[in-house]
Order: sequence, then structure tokens, then C-alpha cells
Amino acid sequence: MTALLEIDGLSVGFTRDGDTTQVVRDLSMRVAQGARVAVIGESGSGKTVTMKTILGTLPPNGRVLGGAIRFAGQDLLTLSARDRNRLKGTDISIIHQDPLAAFNPVFRIGTQLDDVLRFADARLDAPTSAADRHERITKILRQVQLQDPARVLRSYPFELSGGMRQRVLIGMALLHRPKLLIADEPGTALDVTTQDEILRLLDDLVAAENLTLLLVTHNLAVVRQNADYVYVMQHGRLMEHGTVRQVFDAPQSDYTRQLIAAIPPLYGAGVTAQVARGDTPLIKLADAAKHFAAPRSWFAKAPPPVMAVRDVSLVINRGDCFGIAGESGSGKTTVARMIMGLLPATAGSVEIGGRDISALRRDPAFRRRIQMVYQNPASSLNPKRTVAQMLAVPLAFAGDADHAKRIAELLAQVELPSDYASRYPHELSGGQKQRVAIARALAVRPEILVLDEPTSALDVSVQKTIVDLLLGLRERLDLTYVFISHDLSLMRNFCNRIAVMWRGMLAEQGPTDAVFDRPTHPYTRALIAAVPVLTAEEAARKPQITLAERRAVLASTIE
Amino acid sequence: MISNRQRAWRRLRRNPIAVVGGLMVLSVILAAIFAPWVAPFPTHAGAVVDFRHRHSPPDALHWMGTDNAGRDILSRVIFGYRVSLTLVAGVLGVAMPFGVLLGMAAGYFRGRTEFVIMRLTDIMLAMPPLVMALAITAILTPDLINAMIAITALWWTWHCRLIYRVTSSIVAEDFVEAARLSGASHAHILLREILPNCMAAISVKTTLDAGFVILFGATLSFLGLGVQPPTPDLGTMVATGAQFLPDQWWEAVMPGLGVLYAILGFNLLGDGLRDMLDVEIG
Repeated sequence: MTALLEIDGLSVGFTRDGDTTQVVRDLSMRVAQGARVAVIGESGSGKTVTMKTILGTLPPNGRVLGGAIRFAGQDLLTLSARDRNRLKGTDISIIHQDPLAAFNPVFRIGTQLDDVLRFADARLDAPTSAADRHERITKILRQVQLQDPARVLRSYPFELSGGMRQRVLIGMALLHRPKLLIADEPGTALDVTTQDEILRLLDDLVAAENLTLLLVTHNLAVVRQNADYVYVMQHGRLMEHGTVRQVFDAPQSDYTRQLIAAIPPLYGAGVTAQVARGDTPLIKLADAAKHFAAPRSWFAKAPPPVMAVRDVSLVINRGDCFGIAGESGSGKTTVARMIMGLLPATAGSVEIGGRDISALRRDPAFRRRIQMVYQNPASSLNPKRTVAQMLAVPLAFAGDADHAKRIAELLAQVELPSDYASRYPHELSGGQKQRVAIARALAVRPEILVLDEPTSALDVSVQKTIVDLLLGLRERLDLTYVFISHDLSLMRNFCNRIAVMWRGMLAEQGPTDAVFDRPTHPYTRALIAAVPVLTAEEAARKPQITLAERRAVLASTIE
Repeated sequence: MISNRQRAWRRLRRNPIAVVGGLMVLSVILAAIFAPWVAPFPTHAGAVVDFRHRHSPPDALHWMGTDNAGRDILSRVIFGYRVSLTLVAGVLGVAMPFGVLLGMAAGYFRGRTEFVIMRLTDIMLAMPPLVMALAITAILTPDLINAMIAITALWWTWHCRLIYRVTSSIVAEDFVEAARLSGASHAHILLREILPNCMAAISVKTTLDAGFVILFGATLSFLGLGVQPPTPDLGTMVATGAQFLPDQWWEAVMPGLGVLYAILGFNLLGDGLRDMLDVEIG
């Protein structure tokens, strides 16, 4: 097969305040016509920069330091700006990562698609009529399986769901029958069930249109399902490449091996089953519900309240690692905040150790029993305060006199060197920041930690170290965890009990093994089935569910 | 890895306009502090009359010429900076902390506090500032202190607005809730968690404002409601000099240039700081 895209010894650097940092070093790769090639890497691997270089959309401070990019025989880097521009959106197309940010919020979808097509036609000196463009756009929207193209075209971006926006984006990229389609983390911003649909759609389109796909992602499982050939990048360098089978079954580089080992398995011998450490109830929710009143209006009748959570009853035992799983909008975070006492329940009760959570506000000793670790350490650590300053606040709350000693102790607990106490958050890596956040939560010697997606902002390899740390702490400090996540593979290996939330209600709860091995609720089955997995064994043991069945579940109405 | 401070310093050096602005501001401040030694005719700051040199145009001896009492205009501009900078320090020294505290309180406590503070701000902002200042100084005796009071009474609203907005976005960050969960008091959260994150906005706003306060003060004294003669004030000097336009143009233009120089300096420095600290103002 001939190579559609050939990259030869590419080096790219960024200049900031006079320093040049090289972010892609001597990268060579080859994408054959009609192939599905994936570039995989964690943050800082240079994968996105490489894509931008191919497209010619590097920011002004980025510069190609050497090498060549050949696309269909022509050298892109020596091509005139005009000729280069012609390729953009026509022969080479990209599906952007964030389906909301890719649209201008004040224009209708139809206008935006028409603009894209009109400008692309103009670049090719082949202007077309509005009617002709409308026809082409409608046809594409049908192709990406949007049921009612006319309605979609009339809509504003915020009126569409995330999945629909992603479909429109795919359609947008396909408008000009590109030879090369670059997909940057497709579906990553979406829920797992929607992501699965998008990936299947992409795969079908690539096969049907005989497209060449360049998939950029951090998710190994997605690569395994959607690509044939894979390039692994780290710190701007190519670590290894080969067919998906070669790389996954017999990885050559240590980095790839680490990366694969860091992925928690969903089924099989690799699963670390967590066991219950007791059966004394600690946290009890009885028919807990939370309604958010819609804002009152002076002129209209008050709309009905939004039911964020209803009829949630669960018992979390001392020493449990209790997982609350769910997609966005399922109410899992609301439940976590109710357990934290941050949101009072509208109905039902929330108790910790037999005491109603409402007492928490006035009783500092009660407040200290339960602490929280947030999802994004970039937001949960104050950028203007050092680690020691951040830890001093809870230490004063806990009444510890010897701050220096406790700070050293806490840093040791989260496996950070003691001299990190004087660092500011920007001097720490993502994983180190999350360790500091954990240390802060531990400072008041709590019994319960509510972990709100504590690893989802981190790279997979870092995720593993944080998970191991948390598991160790649970053992040593006899902690009870409430773990909120959308990552089912992770929960499978981290929790001993799990509750699945769906549309503000509990779909199913039970011991983790039971829920994964014998899911009873149709939604749970659909959810687990949508999780991308690494091995054929896991794929075989997942609940088998057809596309039609899943659509039926997701479309079903409550009651 | 280079520290943030080093990076900020590099950005400042790469921004020649900000450096020029900084030097201009520095020269104004130094000239004001050392006025008796810097000014060529220090005695001319007072009620001195030298009829032999009345209305003399700019020359080697009097770089900015002399006024209708024969006083050296350059010396009076330099002493005028003392008045201007006193005004800036007085106004911003009160208005800035006051506005910042109210803005933070409104953004942090929300609810009724926010309503009261922000609606009060809206009311204050709805009044034409010059008319308000004229009214206040007209009721009180026109002098530096009362001009200061009048300007301060209006100025805090802008800081309040800005800091309210900055605070509202900081409050949404998880670290504020995390601090509350780990037992921090409201005072701690406001002063130790939120205030440091407002400092960039405050410093840019205050620098830019310094220029505008000088201008506002000069406007008041031009209208005869600020500093009274014989104390040299830039606005008063322009007003007096304007009687001799266009023949003795320097008597109005030179003090005017003095105002321009100071304001330009503060604005350039403020813009440079804004780029350097990467903050959005207004």
C-alpha cells in the first residue's frame, strides 16, 4: 500500500519568553492509504502538537525545527501558504476533541456547517450554490445517523446533546470527503455509552468511505477497538510502533508495558478484588432525595423543581470502599455532596454513625470525621499558597499543636518528600498535587473520605500510583471511602461495593463482583457493555447487548 | 524550570513600553519627593513675585517659561506633582481597600450582603462623577482634603465592581470549599485564600487608576474646587494660564503637559502590568 502521510524526522519546538522547548523530537511515522492508525500518549507526549503540525495550525510561538511531512506526495512544510490552506478541511480534516467549544454558540448549526463548506469551496475556487450545499450537508447529517437533519440545522449548539454535537462535528469533518481524517480524542468528553456509539459510527464511516483515519488518544482500549496500527509517544519521542496486536500482546518498550499495566482490567485474573473490612454500618441514606427549586420568577408561575436525586437508600459499612458509579447528570455528585453535608436532603435522611448529617454544620468534631478529595487538583489547591500553608489550616482545625511534625508526617503518608512543604502548586506535577490534596483531607484525621473522581484529571500511569496510595492508606489509617466515578474499570478494582446511579435514582447496588458478573438492571448492563476494554477475554465476558437494546434502554422513560 | 517571578521579570523587560511607563512614573515620584532639590527655583512654589521675568517664554533659564507672577513653571509643575501624588495616595489608599473589602464580601457571602453592596454600588455609579464631586466640594470648603474626600466617595465603586467579579469566579474554585471543609474561618478564607488571588487585578487596576485620579483632581482644581493658590497645582496652573492664551501659550500648555506626562506614565505601566500578570480588567 502507498503511504498517504509520511512524517520523516519531525522536530517541533515552542518558544516562550526566550526559551525554546522541544516538544516533538525526531518523529517518523507512516500512514498507509485506507489504514486506521492511532497515536497514543499521555499529556506532554507531543501527540497533539504533531497533529497541529500536520494541519498547519501550530500557534505562533511553535516552530518546526526539522524534518518533513509528505502528504499524497507533496511536502507540506515547503508548500506555499495558499496551497497548504487549500488542504485544510478538504483533503485533511480534523474532528475536534471538545464538541461544545468547536461551535460558535450564537449561530445555528446550519449556518456554521454552511460557512465551513462555503469557505472550503471558495478556497478550492469552486464556489457552489446555497441549495447545492444544503443538499450535501443534509446528506452528511443522515450519514452520521442524525435522525432529523432539518431540526439539527435549525438548532443552536446548546440545544443539542453532547453526542449529537459530536456527530455534527464528525459530519463537518466529512463534508469535503477528506482523504485523511484526524480524530483528536473522539468522544473523550462524552459519557461512556455515548462515546461507544460515536466510536462505532466513526469506524463504520471509515470503512464505508474508505477513509484514512489518524486517531489521537490517550485511551489504550479505544485504540485496540478502533485502530490497526499504533504509534506510542512519550515526551515528544516515538517509543514504539507496530500493529495493534503486536504492541498490545508483545510490547517492546518499557513505557508501553507500564502503560498497559496501568489500565485496570474489567474482568479476568488481573482484577484486584477488594474485600469488605467489616459490617458495622457507618453511613446510612434512607430514601434521601434532593430537589433543586427552579429560580422564582416575578412574572410567571414557578416551574416544578428539578429532581436531582430521589429515593436513594444505601448503607456504607465501616472500612468499605463504596463506589457510586454513573454518567454525567446521574446524580452521583449530588449524593456525594449530601453525604458531605454540603447539600441538605429535601426528603429522607442522611446519617453518619447514627447521627443526622444536619448536626455537622454546628459540630466541628463531627465535621472532622468526613473530608473530601476533589476531582481537579488544579482547582482544589490555592495557587497562591504553599503546601505547608495549605496543610496548616486543617491542622489548626484538628487542634494539632506541632504543625511541622504533622506536616512531615502527612507528606510521608502521601509519599512526598518533606521539603515539598515549601512548594507552590505550580511547582508540582498533577499527581503530586493530588497527593497534597489527599494530605490536606487526612490532616484532620477523618474516618471517611469522599473521593470525587480523584484520578480522572490525571494520566493513566499517574492514576495507578494514586489508586495504590489510596488503597494503602485505607488499610493503614482504617479509612472508609465513598468513591464517585464514571470509570467502571477503575471501580471494579478499587471498590468492594458499588452502586450504579441513573437519572437521579439507584439502578442497582451490591458487592462489586456481583454487579459486574451478574448485572440485573438493563442500564447497568448497557453501561458495562459500553466500557472499552483491552483484551479479547474481557470483551467476551462483558454483558453482551445489541445496539438496539442499548438504545431502547437509554431512550426508555422513567415510570 | 524558571520561577514565575523570573518569567514575569522577563516579560516586563520584553515590554519596552511598560519599562518606559515605569521610568516615567518613577521620575514623577522622585521629582515630587526631592522637589526642593530638583526644582531650579524652589522658592517659586510659594507666593513669590518676580515682575522682571513675567510671561517669559521657555528658554535656557526657565525651561517651561514663567507665569504671570514671573514664577518658573517647571519648578511649580514639580511641586504640583507633590499635590497630585498626595491626592492619589489619599484617594486610592482609602478607596482601594474599601472597594476591595466590599467587593470580596459581596462575591463571597452572596445573598443579602451581595444585594445590598452591589445595588449601593449601582446607585453610586449612576451618579455623574463630576457633578457629584462638584456638589461635595461646593458644600464643603474647596481644598485638597475635601477634593480627596469627594473623589474617594466615588472611586471605591470601581474597585468594588472589579473585585466582586474576580471573587465570584474564585469562589467557584474547589479550594474555597476545601478550606471551609477543613475548618477555615470566613476571615481566613477572605484574606488568605481569596485576597492573594485578587492581587494581580488590584495592582493593575490601582496603577491605571492613579493616572485617572490625577486627571480628576486636576479637573476639580481647574474648576476652582481643588487646591487653592498659592499652592502649586497642575489643574489650577492650567486654569490661570488659560487666561493668557494664545500669546503666552506655555503658561497653560506646560502644566498640561505635566499632567499628560504623569498620566501617560501610569497608564503605560498599568498596561504593561496587565500583560505581565495576565489579568482582565473591566
